[in-house]
Amino acid sequence: MENEVYAFALKNTLTEIQNACPDVTSNFIFKDGKIIAKNKNTEQETATQTIEAFDAIAERADPIGDLESITIQSTEGKVNIAAMEDFYLTTVSSKEADEKYVNTLTRILIPIVIKLSEKIQPAALDKETITTEPEPEPEEDDAYEPPEENFDLNENNETEEMDQPEEEEPAMPEPEPAEEPEQYEPEIDDEPLLPDPPVTQLIVENLGGLLVPSDTVRVDQEVIARWNELFGDNKIKEVEVEALNGKTTRCKFKNIKKSKDTGKGIVKMPEKIQLTLETQQGELVTIKPIIE
Amino acid sequence: MAKKKSAQESATPIFVDEDEIAAPEDDQTFKDLNEKLAKIRKNRGVIGYILRNTTSATIDLKEPEKIVEYAIFSSQVLDSSQEISDLLETGDVENVLIEGKENKVLCMKIDGNKISIFMEKDADDADIQKQISP
Repeated sequence: MENEVYAFALKNTLTEIQNACPDVTSNFIFKDGKIIAKNKNTEQETATQTIEAFDAIAERADPIGDLESITIQSTEGKVNIAAMEDFYLTTVSSKEADEKYVNTLTRILIPIVIKLSEKIQPAALDKETITTEPEPEPEEDDAYEPPEENFDLNENNETEEMDQPEEEEPAMPEPEPAEEPEQYEPEIDDEPLLPDPPVTQLIVENLGGLLVPSDTVRVDQEVIARWNELFGDNKIKEVEVEALNGKTTRCKFKNIKKSKDTGKGIVKMPEKIQLTLETQQGELVTIKPIIE
Repeated sequence: MAKKKSAQESATPIFVDEDEIAAPEDDQTFKDLNEKLAKIRKNRGVIGYILRNTTSATIDLKEPEKIVEYAIFSSQVLDSSQEISDLLETGDVENVLIEGKENKVLCMKIDGNKISIFMEKDADDADIQKQISP
């Protein structure tokens, strides 16, 4: 499932690269010998065989150290295979293509998208179960949606739907489309899939008083309502709060009582928790529910 | 079958001539390339080169003990590059630049002669390519 995040983001990036530079005739991305994403002009079989040929070179590349890039200049075009993070991007272009432009485009865009995808799915990287490229999709060539929007995690449980851009409603994750269920079958566990807990950024406000419990923060009702929507029956008893300095703590939470304080993007926090986090009133913290 | 060693500068060049009858004199291109490569070899950052055609080969590398490794790699690069080029329909390979973490190699095909020039990462491969091109 994790690779679908990459696949979706990278596929759109590849399409956009080709839109921006029509001299790019074909491009695809692979990792550990498997295709992660490819544009519509690239045949699966061609890409697979190209990877095999690339691997044959990489296996014998000791004299030059780990392989970083291959540029093949041929009579009718150019092929470039470049390492980007843990991925390899293959770009096929015509002879007339502006190499500098293509390189600038690809070597900036792809690493950014990879990094953003990593941020969206930080746990994904260690669990590589690559599912190859995305399902054959309708040729919609939709505009590339920068993955940044997914940082608005209050809104979306974006991770599960990445492979189905046509269905943008944030909803509980579905198994994959009915036409090819077998490809994703292994990922349908007996446990229902839950979206990653959304992270919300809030401003700290002091919470004081004699009867105030020192282990409880008060969170905006709207935020809590969103959590409840996302996680339904799953109980959320605690939240994890992280200060800008990276310190985190788990604590209980309640909703903010005063209606004038709702919707302001604040979290009311007793002094003890502020001390633990080494934060204070007016500073930003992130908060996410702990799902049980 | 004769094997000669020619003494070129500080490196340990090995000149392998497998067929004296079809030797470089018959192959002017091979001879010209050999001369060009000997000059290029003096460029800053050039580690060595391999030049071969169907009958002869010249190898001049800083690390003679790794000749086999370099030769296999060089051969693999040209073969696999042509395979990739065929698959992606970009025609006949003219040259291939492969960059590794430590060094890079420029491989070319000129009139049936296969050339691999190994160099350090900061060497000017574009300039070297100009020097070797016909």
